Amino acid sequence: MLAAASGGLPAPALSQGANARTLRFVPQANLANFDPIWGTQYVVRNAAALVWDTLYGVDETLTPKRQMVESETVSPDGLVWTFKLRPGMKFHDGSPVLAKDAVQSLVRWSARDPMGLMIRALQNELVAVDDLTFRWSLKKPYPKMLLALGKNNAPCTFIMPERIAKTDPFQQITEYIGSGPMRFVRNEWVPGAKAVFEKFADYKPRDEKASWLAGGKQMLVDRIEWVIMPDPATASAALQNGEVDWWENPLSDLVPVLKANRNINVDIADPLGNIGAFRMNHLHPPFDNVKIRRAVLAAMNQEDYMRAIVGDDNNLWKPLPGFFTPGTPLYTESGGEILKMRSLDAAKKLLQEGGYSNQPVTCVVAQDLPVLKAMGEVTADLLKKMGMNVDFVATDWGTVGARRAQKTPPGQGGWNMFHTWHAGADCINPAPYTAVRGSGDKAWFGWPNSPGVEKEIETWFDAASLDDEKAAIARLNKAALEDVVFAPTGFFLTYQAWRKNVSGVAKGPLPFFWGVSKA
Amino acid sequence: MLAFIVRRIIATIPVMGFVALFVFSLLYIAPGDPAAVIAGDQASPADVERIRAGLGLDRPYLVRFAEWLFRVLQGDLGTSIFTSLPVTQLIAQRIEPTVSLMVVTLLFAILIAVPMGVIAAWKANTWIDRVAMAFAVFGFSVPVFVVGYLLAYIFALKLDWFPVQGYTPLSAGFGPWLENLVLPSVTLGMVYIALIARITRASMLEVLQQDYIRTARSKGLAQPSILFIHALKNAAIPVVTVIGIGIALLIGGAVVTESVFAIPGLGRLTVDAILRRDYPVIQGVVLMFSFVYVLINLVVDIIYTLLDPRIRY
Repeated sequence: MLAAASGGLPAPALSQGANARTLRFVPQANLANFDPIWGTQYVVRNAAALVWDTLYGVDETLTPKRQMVESETVSPDGLVWTFKLRPGMKFHDGSPVLAKDAVQSLVRWSARDPMGLMIRALQNELVAVDDLTFRWSLKKPYPKMLLALGKNNAPCTFIMPERIAKTDPFQQITEYIGSGPMRFVRNEWVPGAKAVFEKFADYKPRDEKASWLAGGKQMLVDRIEWVIMPDPATASAALQNGEVDWWENPLSDLVPVLKANRNINVDIADPLGNIGAFRMNHLHPPFDNVKIRRAVLAAMNQEDYMRAIVGDDNNLWKPLPGFFTPGTPLYTESGGEILKMRSLDAAKKLLQEGGYSNQPVTCVVAQDLPVLKAMGEVTADLLKKMGMNVDFVATDWGTVGARRAQKTPPGQGGWNMFHTWHAGADCINPAPYTAVRGSGDKAWFGWPNSPGVEKEIETWFDAASLDDEKAAIARLNKAALEDVVFAPTGFFLTYQAWRKNVSGVAKGPLPFFWGVSKA
Repeated sequence: MLAFIVRRIIATIPVMGFVALFVFSLLYIAPGDPAAVIAGDQASPADVERIRAGLGLDRPYLVRFAEWLFRVLQGDLGTSIFTSLPVTQLIAQRIEPTVSLMVVTLLFAILIAVPMGVIAAWKANTWIDRVAMAFAVFGFSVPVFVVGYLLAYIFALKLDWFPVQGYTPLSAGFGPWLENLVLPSVTLGMVYIALIARITRASMLEVLQQDYIRTARSKGLAQPSILFIHALKNAAIPVVTVIGIGIALLIGGAVVTESVFAIPGLGRLTVDAILRRDYPVIQGVVLMFSFVYVLINLVVDIIYTLLDPRIRY
């Protein structure tokens, strides 16, 4: 009746042509801020890739390719890098992209990025030579320079106008002007509900075929609307109804419904997947004792964790007796035998040897993120079966995020264990992989101290060939498992889903909108 | 009356002050850290510390409270930690969907619930009464999200009568605006219908026993006139009270309804802010809601005097 009653009233819909030029996308999370250097959440990186271009970009073989850079030279001693930008590039405000913009953007980026910090530590100077050329000179060679400038891990080397890039890297920018293929429509941004991007007419794509962050970023739609939907069931219904076109991360429970719909395609989102993990606090008993940490590894069955996350779909998970992303060049299982034991008896023996005396294990578990909740429950059950005294703290991610930074004992606001996961793209090598570091007090939460891991990371950075890199990573993996830097719970994939009238959707570590069209 | 209204508005100042202190203190002692959320999962503890310092969250409680209060007194609710947008702008962006949802829900609920309660009282202890009250119990018992999913499945996904989600501003036309609000309003209105219908019935049952109703009947007045003009007006005081109280329920229910139907309203803004520990937004929204409650109570008190001339302040 209401539909009939409203028949004579103004229609909200865009015309059919306009509708085909607007892509409606449901992202993994809310775009709550839009500074890709200040906030390193994946959702911010994904949106930023539309608005800001990068100097280099990795392709689907994980090789960094030139993007904004036209050419580069490196001195024979590896100490001086000179980069020349492509001519004719413009920012969304119409100003030209100049070397000084790239320099200032790199200054800001290198204050926040792990690889950037390393380069900064080696830096002699970073200067603009002329309008299109800049030079980065170092005290010591840094062989991974192009990977640092082209990696897809947050924060990427997004290039901003100099005046914006002068913002303190620990303060948010307030202007969202890039030189990427889409411009951000700020006045339509409703954080928590909608973000809108419009095609930038002056963008000059490269001639090469697009591949992940590399190549010609040809936009085949005029407008992209990000529709934030906190409720997966609503997103599922909206996709089935055609109210949205593409959903980045359907909940695995809803995938069968989507697969059964003849108007919807469902496929793996990111072949690099994710690595589930829980971290033990190396500062306090009982996990300050390596034997107790090893006992947990010996007892755990990664299949339990993966089934709790992805259900019965065997295409979505793999066991992971190591720390690096399966299917990538540096993947190794060296030292992974302990994760294949799945022996409660062995674990109990190790607990006894380690002198475990029934101390409570404060396991802090976020209940608002299904993956973490699932893993937390499996771990609690595992620890109980091992005979450990579990203090299960059910809370939200905001609390976990704060509590995990506490170094105080568990009884004084600290913790023994928390769960998380890492994007596989962040675990392809040690450069962006802060979680695998064993630098004690400076390491990631849990503060593992593993000189063996740190030594091999240095070896990897200096490695001149892939074989040398592989050898270093194999030793690193072994050392990290011996010291139990953290506990990997397995490798899992997620799906993405889109309407069949949308074509060009690629698999990758982030949603690539270039090459995507809508009929 | 004017003096009463002025007195009541002035009385809101200490109430708001207490709310401000309470909310600020509660957030101060609550666990959670926006800096950790901003920094992302790969951030080092040092990064988190630096962001916390940048946000001023490392300063003492009293300094932060005094600064915030000073700004609030100047009409500045602060800036969101996450979006860097003014809290007033975030509230302004979200207020229309929530107000629209509440108004349509309220109208829908009153139009259904009051006649239902009146008829149930008139036909007390008959099958009509029992069906009406069974419906009321059902409406009160079934969680909002269950009703929401059910309605969306049937009327949006299967019948394609309404959209699954979203909000269309009133400026885009009355039809599209209403089309987006029908399912959420029915969902949210179920509890409200149940509440108002039961109170209306109880109040009407009492009034219908009064002598003047018997007199009206003996004078040969038509039943609708007796029920809706003579009886309902005198039974309305508790109904108006429960409508006022119910607006608090509506705001609470709107949080869930807005999530289920992806309506960009204040409920979702609040939940998102709480999950991220976006303190200025939480404080701003709670202060605003508190002020709205105070105003609603004032309006309810004024309506009392219109319904019952014996009531004077």
